[in-house]
Order: sequence, then structure tokens, then C-alpha cells
Amino acid sequence: MTSPAGAVIAFDTATAATVVGLTVGGTLVCELADRPGEDQRPRHAERLLTLCEEALAQAGLGWGGLGRIGVGVGPGTFTGLRIGVATAQGLAQATALPVIAVSTLEALSLRARAAEPLLQIAAVGDARRGEAYVAAWSADGTPTVAAQACPPERLGAVFAADLNPTLAVGDGALIFRKELESRGIEVPEDGSPLHRLDGGSLCELAASGAPVSSQELVPHYVRRPDAEIALQARAENS
Amino acid sequence: MSGAILAIETSCDDSCAAVVDASGLILSNVIASQSIHDKYGGVVPEIAARHHLHLLTPTIDAALSDAGLTLDLIERVAVTQGPGLIGALLVGVAQAKAIAAARGVPLVAVDHLQGHVAANFLGPDPFEPPFVCLIASGGHTLLARVEEQSSYTVLGETLDDAAGEAFDKGARMLGLPFPGGPALEALAGDGDPEAFDFPTARNVKGFDFSFAGVKTSLLYAIADLGEAESQLRRADLAASYQKAIVDALIDRLDRALSASGLGRVAIGGGVAANGPLRQRVSELGAETHIPAMKLCTDNAAMIAGAARFLPDCSTEAALALDAYPSGSKR
Ligand SMILES: [Zn+2]
Repeated sequence: MTSPAGAVIAFDTATAATVVGLTVGGTLVCELADRPGEDQRPRHAERLLTLCEEALAQAGLGWGGLGRIGVGVGPGTFTGLRIGVATAQGLAQATALPVIAVSTLEALSLRARAAEPLLQIAAVGDARRGEAYVAAWSADGTPTVAAQACPPERLGAVFAADLNPTLAVGDGALIFRKELESRGIEVPEDGSPLHRLDGGSLCELAASGAPVSSQELVPHYVRRPDAEIALQARAENS
Repeated sequence: MSGAILAIETSCDDSCAAVVDASGLILSNVIASQSIHDKYGGVVPEIAARHHLHLLTPTIDAALSDAGLTLDLIERVAVTQGPGLIGALLVGVAQAKAIAAARGVPLVAVDHLQGHVAANFLGPDPFEPPFVCLIASGGHTLLARVEEQSSYTVLGETLDDAAGEAFDKGARMLGLPFPGGPALEALAGDGDPEAFDFPTARNVKGFDFSFAGVKTSLLYAIADLGEAESQLRRADLAASYQKAIVDALIDRLDRALSASGLGRVAIGGGVAANGPLRQRVSELGAETHIPAMKLCTDNAAMIAGAARFLPDCSTEAALALDAYPSGSKR
């Protein structure tokens, strides 16, 4: 655990958004995000470090004044994840600060957990290709569904929502609202902040998580590369 | 030790880091090659990007330790901004930016081809401009006029495949493993380069190259001979195919040398390892420079070599630096 006075910067580039948070002693000092519109490309490369420097400036800190760095490791878009993780690796190399790998989906679930403490919380991301990245936690915070890519027809079953009243949040929950609601899973209204990953939640997980070595700091891709799957299929067919 | 530059290069399938001092002396030059792509018959962009993320941090650590330095003594960070595989480039760009920002040192964005040209400026035996430069590899074919250390003028480029790509594709048609260049050259050593008359795209205007025709001609020649006969004549096919590629390169290089009147030539890129090409370049009657092979193929020392003559990014531009997959520096 960090000392309560420690300053934590945490960021995430797993979704289209670039999200940065900075807490000092567990108090949110600054939260910045670049959220591109639906027809715009993510701007992780252009915005991530700029937002980090802005957050540090607002907190009146330099990199040396931080206690630790948190980085969202997904699941999410492969390129976005790598920009975040490579940035964290460079920062760790340059500062020797401890780095904590934060689950993007768990960070997404925190505000919903606070809002609905009696429900199972499902974090649902847009996995493209008509699928969702999902993970879930029971009301007492126990993981119930490990992060995975899931086709819409399995969405209801994967959360065992018939047994556990469930709230689903995230951009994937908006895309698959119909499928989720048809299985009795509750989805907050479209504009609800519960669907948005926030910097404070990233910092909260980074503050309590265990630091990882640079070799352990890897994206949680969930999916294997297409070429690897195709090569294996060819090998099995021959 | 003053002016030490840490350079990072991840444009394709090699994770590279190097330290070069302000005088152009190489203090370290570490290349972690991703041999995993061989079984796919070519570089898979997503797999390359994933491996860069694994390999780059230890590669940078090795470059620093080989140089006997820590990051405290690095005064500038240089990185390949493009062109190349975008997912691969972004790993290097993100890490370089983070190191520069957190250390408070300037960042230099380097064009990959400028890096290949700048391999000639590295110590202990630098080759000074002006000269005509041919860069030929699996990813690029560039003929350039180099008047100063910070830039070059493009004389010719390939209209389709790169020269090294033509070697790899021909090798695959002849049943050789990837990467095919060295295997094709070895096979060609036992063959007759005059056995088949493959095209060199002489009708292409100016100093540009085209290797699509020679590739198609090899495909037809193999089909015309039939499986058994083409198997028997593999060495002749390889030798003639290699000669056509080398002829095409030498033809433009020779004309560019005459047109420029410079009388000085440098070559680089992985194809610079090709024996017949090196032989033919040495026969052009020009003063010739070929950097050590480790500096011809992709490496980070050449990126640092280019950075020596390039301006630092502004602080804002360094934080916002993005990679570019094709074309030239924006
Ligand atoms: Zn190259």
C-alpha cells in the first residue's frame, strides 16, 4: 500500500478516450480526458503525455514528486494499449517509479459499484468485430467473470444475470443495450457518467495495486493476433 | 561523453536502441531481432508491435549498459517517427517521448530513410556529403542525392515492390525460406546469370524503380519450365533473377552518378549485403562507401547519427509527437 500522502498519476488508452487522473493522498487533484467524437480517431499518441504534463502542472508537481504510476492495461484496442504501456515503461525507466497495471474494465466498474452497492457490476467495453470485452464483480467485490471478448448472444449468460441482479456499464453496454436488457440486465441511460472511464478510478486502483516489473507490464490483449490463429489452424488442418 | 544521444528504432521487426556521442562515435548499438516472423513468411505487423513492447525496454537497458552510461548522462533522445509499420513505430515513439519528458531532455524525431543515409556519417570512418546514396531493403528502395548531413533529395523510388521484397518474393517462388535474400544469393552462386533474360524496367522514367515485372517474369518462367525442369534449373533461375534486380539498381545508380557529376556513392539497407551488388558498385569508378552491415540493416545508431544534424522538437511538439506510416516527415 502507498502512504496516504503519495501522489499517483494514472492513465488509460484502452478505449477511444485518453484518460488521465492525478491524486495526492487519495484525493483527486486533477482529471483530464480527451474523448474523440464518434467519427473521430483516437488521439492517444498526441494527447497522452500532454495531458499528463497538464495534470502535473495543475498539481504543482514534477515527475519526481510522484509516488507511483498507474496504467490501464485493457482489454481494449491493441494500438491504444501499447501506447499506454510503452509510455508507462518509458516513464518507469526514466523515473524508477513503481508502475501498477490497472484493469481498464475494473476501473470502469468502480463508480457503478459506488452507485449500486447491492448489484453485480458488469463492465462492458466495445471490442469491435461485433463483440464486447466483459468482466464482472459481485456485490461484495469478488470477481465473477474474468475479462474476455464475448459475442452478443453470450452476453446475458456470461454474467449469470438470472441469479445475480446486474448493472452493466461502458460503451459496450450502450452498443449491446438490447441484448443485455433482454436478459434482465440493467443499463444506465445513455448519457450517464457511469459509462465513462474516469481518472479517479484509475488512480484508486493504482494506489492499492501491487507494482509490477517491466517484463510483467503487458497489455491484457485477451485476443491473440489473427495471423497466429490462422497459422495454428493451418497447422492443425495439415 | 558530452552530447550523448539515446536513439530508438522500431519501424519494422527489429527492436533497436543505441547510444552515439556528439562526434558520431557509436558507444553502443543493440538490435533485438524478432525471428518469430520467419514462420509466417513475412513480417506480421500486429505480432511485430507486440514483440517490440516486450523487447524494447531490455534493449534500451542493454544499450545504456553497453555504453557504460545511465539515463542521467543522456542529453538527447532520438526516435524513428516513420515511415514503417504504424503499430511498431508507436511503441518506440511512445517510449522515447516518455523517457525524454520524464528526464527533461530534448526529443529528436527522425525519418527512417534519413537514418539510413546518416549511417554514412557515423564514426570512426564517416563519409562526407556530397554523394549519391542508394538505400535498398525489404521495406524501401531509394536513390537520393545527399548534399548536406540534415537532408537529401529524392532522385528515384520504387513504384511497387522494394528491392529486398523482390528478393524475398523470388526466393519464396523458388521454395527458399524467409527471409529470402541471403538464401537466393547462395543458390544463385551455382547458377548462370545469363540463362534467363528477366526485365529490369528500363522503360520506367527517370531514376524510379519497378520490381513487379521481374517478379512476374520469374513466375512465368517457373510455370513454363514445369515443376521438374524448374526444380533442376533453380540455380539458373535464381542467378538470372538476382542479376535482373542488381542490373536495375546499378543502371539507376550509374545514371544518377553521371547526371550528378559527384563521383561519390554510398549504399545501405539490407540489400547492401548482396555480394554481386557490392561487386558491381565497386566497378562504377566512383569513390564508394558501404557502412558496416550492422549499420546498413535497420539499427538505432543510424537514427542517432541522423539526430546529430537535426533540430530538437519543441517541448509541445515532443509531447504530441505521433508516428507516420508512409511518406516523409511532416
Ligand atoms: Zn530500413
